[in-house]
Amino acid sequence: MLEPLSGLGRSTARRLSRLGALARFGFDVVRSGLALTAAGRRVALRVTVNQVRFTALHAIGLILLLSSILSFLVISQAVQELGRYGATDLIGTLMVVAIVRELGPLITALTVAGRSGTAISAELATNQVLGEVRALEAMGIDPKQYLAVPRFVGSIVSVFALLVLFDVTAVATGFAAASLSHMSGPRYAQIVLASLGARDVWLTVAKAAVFGAIVGVVPSYFGLSALRASTAIPVAASRATVASMVGIFLGSALFVAIG
Amino acid sequence: MVMTAPIAFEGVPLGLHEGPPLSLAIAPRQTVALLSGDAGGVGPLGGYVLGLERPPAGRVTVFGTAIADLPARERLAFRRRVGYLPAGDGLIQNLSLRDNVALPLRFGSTASPREIDGRVSVILAAVRLRDAADQRPAQVTDEERRRAAFARALAFDPTALVLERPFDGLTARVAAELLELARGGETAEGARRTVLITGSELPAIVQHRVDQVYRLARNGALQLEPA
Repeated sequence: MLEPLSGLGRSTARRLSRLGALARFGFDVVRSGLALTAAGRRVALRVTVNQVRFTALHAIGLILLLSSILSFLVISQAVQELGRYGATDLIGTLMVVAIVRELGPLITALTVAGRSGTAISAELATNQVLGEVRALEAMGIDPKQYLAVPRFVGSIVSVFALLVLFDVTAVATGFAAASLSHMSGPRYAQIVLASLGARDVWLTVAKAAVFGAIVGVVPSYFGLSALRASTAIPVAASRATVASMVGIFLGSALFVAIG
Repeated sequence: MVMTAPIAFEGVPLGLHEGPPLSLAIAPRQTVALLSGDAGGVGPLGGYVLGLERPPAGRVTVFGTAIADLPARERLAFRRRVGYLPAGDGLIQNLSLRDNVALPLRFGSTASPREIDGRVSVILAAVRLRDAADQRPAQVTDEERRRAAFARALAFDPTALVLERPFDGLTARVAAELLELARGGETAEGARRTVLITGSELPAIVQHRVDQVYRLARNGALQLEPA
């Protein structure tokens, strides 16, 4: 009778243990980054620039598309619905609270996790399977410094840049949507700017840092802890993507909870 | 004056074999091959030497130091004194062969980028890889990949080298050429480097250039083959 309870306990203990290992890995990555020598920093910077190119630059089109579609749908619907009750002033609040503060960071982080997080975990798991991680250690190179630190920093920079792009695009597309719904451009701009505060700027920076760290660390952890077997690559990619998404949603809820 | 053995094994079990554990000190400037028919026998020894794995029992030292016992930072730094060619080459797939050879120097030396580029060019010329240097591992032949892996193992000009299955799939002529590069040329006292080779077989022409060849016997013991 106690078997199901015991199984539940084992599963929970395993998950907590993995969470602990993940936290320790994240801490080690930060510590490894701080311990980089000048020569190591030059190499890591080169890898980081490459990472930003793949994660941010190559995702610009996708972010523009998602942001403009989301903003167009929300604002055009809102102008019509709120217009009926004479509450079009609430569009600014809607734009800032729903898109800039909540959906923008969430969708940007989920997009980067799905696109680049999967690639990071698959790439590092392949490095592991092909013996490249072991070879790095044998050459006196800390794999965390060469592989994980640049992806950690690159992801934070990329999520921040894409988040700013998402918000700017959303506001600009909202302007177009409002104009099409017979709301004057200056009026729209006035309402939105009045709703934006310094808190939104700091929240954007904080969310970019937290979500970027999740997208950088979680896939690196699952990639580097893969077994040396080809079947480990899809497993690592899948676990990393799911764990990153859960982490991003939990992080988003935490931001709302702490206000 | 007592000279510390560049590489020494003390009571290290050989895989799943039930023979006596390996105790062997490799003298400076010697080239020693440890051969076994299966990977489980001598396969893990290279990893033990570099401190990448710990042996289940016994101790492995390099210049008197057990690398696996060192703190993480010192362990990484110490490994730069030992060249290592892993089985399957271990080249980084998204770097060109030139960048693969340069990577340990860029990360672990204080030389300027210009000095590193110069050193890498010299090593690439020595392993005859100048033409393929800007290709990635997937774009070149097995032989060129192995040459690049040799070049990377020699990047720091180490005094000791560990080579895992270094000549598998190579012609005897190429194997002999690469072994000479690994030994680093001859001096009055012998080769410039101490070389440990692990694998299953050696081409006959290479075997003549190896100072000692030990082979895993059926009883699980490594036996010295007659010269």
